[in-house]
Amino acid sequence: MGKFNVLNHELVPEHYVLDSKEEEKVLRELGITKDLLPKINKSDPAIIALEQSHGDINPGSVIKIVRKSPTAGISVYYRVVVSGETVR
Amino acid sequence: MKYLIFRDSKRNMESLMKKAPCGYAVDFSPGKENSPDAILVTTDSKNAIYRIEYSSIKKYSDDENIVKKVSKGLKSTIMIDGVKGIDPIPLASFTFKKGASLIKDKFIVGSMETMDGITKESAMENVSDVTVEIMNDALKAGADIPFSLASELATLKKKVSKKEFSEIFQRSIAEFKQREIDPYEAVGIIAAQSIGEPGTQMTMRTFHFAGVREMNVTLGLPRLIEIVDARRVPSTPSMTIYLRHEYEQSREVVEKVMREIENTTLIDVCELETDISEMTVTVKPIPNRLRERLVSGEDIFNVVSDPKTLKGAIVMEREKGNEVTVKPQQESFKNLYKLQEQLKSLTIKGIPGIKRAIARNEKGAWVIYTQGSNFRDIIEKVEEIDATRTYTNDIMEIYNVLGVEAVRNAIYLESERTLSEQGLEVDQRHLMLVADMMTFSGNVRAVGRQGISGKKSSVLARAAFEITTKHLLKAGISGEVDALNGVAENIIVGQPITLGTGSVNLVYKGFGSK
Repeated sequence: MGKFNVLNHELVPEHYVLDSKEEEKVLRELGITKDLLPKINKSDPAIIALEQSHGDINPGSVIKIVRKSPTAGISVYYRVVVSGETVR
Repeated sequence: MKYLIFRDSKRNMESLMKKAPCGYAVDFSPGKENSPDAILVTTDSKNAIYRIEYSSIKKYSDDENIVKKVSKGLKSTIMIDGVKGIDPIPLASFTFKKGASLIKDKFIVGSMETMDGITKESAMENVSDVTVEIMNDALKAGADIPFSLASELATLKKKVSKKEFSEIFQRSIAEFKQREIDPYEAVGIIAAQSIGEPGTQMTMRTFHFAGVREMNVTLGLPRLIEIVDARRVPSTPSMTIYLRHEYEQSREVVEKVMREIENTTLIDVCELETDISEMTVTVKPIPNRLRERLVSGEDIFNVVSDPKTLKGAIVMEREKGNEVTVKPQQESFKNLYKLQEQLKSLTIKGIPGIKRAIARNEKGAWVIYTQGSNFRDIIEKVEEIDATRTYTNDIMEIYNVLGVEAVRNAIYLESERTLSEQGLEVDQRHLMLVADMMTFSGNVRAVGRQGISGKKSSVLARAAFEITTKHLLKAGISGEVDALNGVAENIIVGQPITLGTGSVNLVYKGFGSK
C-alpha cells in the first residue's frame, strides 16, 4: 500500500493544472489578471499530491478546481499557485 | 523511487554546476544499486538540496574531463549532464536500508514511498452531451446556467416535444436572469445578516449528546464561533471513522480497530504497587483488562524496559505472571514518586490524541466515533479504515492534511450542520461565501480582527473596524496610501460608495461635443 493520496479524499475536489493556453483563455473569460485569483500554497497537500503525477508545479500556475456543489451540481473554481507555506 | 544520496561540500557542487556536462569522480562505488532513479546531494546531512542529472556511472579511470572530489581513493565516475538546486528534502523522509547511515562523505541508497494514484472518478464524466449543449445554448442567450439546472432541462428534453421544450427553455432562462445577483450587489452584507439573524436564536451554551452515548460534542453558537474563528484546536475534537467496504460489517474488525487506535496507558491495564521499604514500583498487569485491550504481558515489559521511555530507572528482572519491578536509579522518595507518576502515564499502544472510541452500527455498516482527533496518524497508520471517507471536526487538521480546498468544504459542511441541528435554515450560498472568503488567500483566515477584516488593504476600512488608533498610527509611520476603492473608506470621506448605482459613472456628452 502506498501513501494515501489526499486527492482521493471525499472532501478534496478535483484539481487540474492548466497549461498556458488554457490559462490565457480562462483569464480572458473572467476578465481579470492572475493576481486577482484566489490563491493556493505551493506546499498545499493537494498540490504536493498533484506534483506526483504532473511534475513540478511552479508558483504562478493556475489550478482548475472542479467542485461538487449542492446548489450548482458542478462548479468550477480557479486558484493561482503562490509560494506560501502551509503551516504544519 | 530509489535514490542515491551522498554528502558533498557546497563549493564542489557549485563548481560542478558551472562545468557540467562533465564527469565527476567520487570516492564510492554504488555496487549493485548502480541505477538509481535519481542522485541527490546533501551538504549538511539533514536535507538533500541538489539533484544531479546523470547519464551513467562508470568505474573510475584517469581522464581529462573529470572533476575530482578528493585527490585519493576515487572509485567511480558519474557522467553528469547537469546539477540543479532543488527545494530541500529532509533526509528523514527517505526510508533507508537497515544499518545505512550518512556519516562523513558516505553514500546511501534510500527509497521514498510514492503516493497512490487517483481512483476517484471525475464529476465531469457523468455530464451528458445534451447537458453541455443546453449550457452552451444558454450562454448564447446570455445566461451562465449551472450544471444542476442544465441537467434538469436535459431530462425534460426527452419527455416533451420540441416546441414545448423551447418554451420551457426560454422561460427558465428568463427566470434565471431575473434571479441572478446584480453586479455590485453587497453579497457580503446580505450573508452576514442572513447568518447573524438566526444566530441570535441559537442557544448560548448547549452541550448535548449527539445520539452517541457518553460522547460530548460542542454544538450551537459556541461551535459556530469556533468555526469562523478558525481555532487551532476545537474544544471537542472528534473523528468519524469509516471502515473499508470489505470490513464494514464485521464486528471483530471494528473491535480490533477500536482497540488499536484507543490510546492505552499503563494505568488502564495494570496496577501499580509501590514498596517504600524496598524503593521499588511493581507493575502488575490485570489479566482481564489485558484481554479487553488486546495487550500482552510482553508488550508491557517491552514498553517499561525501553530505555528511551523511562529515564533514570532500573528495570529489574521479570517475575512470574508478567510482573515487572522498576527501581529509581538514585534512591530517594522524590525519585520514587516521580517514577510512579511516569509509569502511570506511559503509553503502551494506540494513536496519540484518541481518548476514546465508540462504534455504532448505521444501516448495517459499522462506524467508529472518537473523542480526540489525530487525522494524519489515523489515515496513515490504520490499514482497515477507509481513508477517503474518514472525517474530523478539527478544521485546522483538515487544512494541514488535505489542503485549502478540503478545508473550504469542511468549513461549509460544519457550519451547515451546526445551523441545521438547531433547526435553523440559512441559504447554503451564504455559508459557501463565508467558506470561500476564509480560504481565499490559500491559508485559513478567521473572520474578524485577526483574519479577513484585519488584512484588508485599505487603512480606513481597517481603522473603521477595530483598534482604530493602532492602524492609523501604523499607516502614518509607514506612509500608506489609501486608494478609496472600498465601501467603508468612501463612507468615511463622504463619497458615494461603490455599490449598486454608486458603482457606475454617468457622463453627459451633450449634443454638440464629441
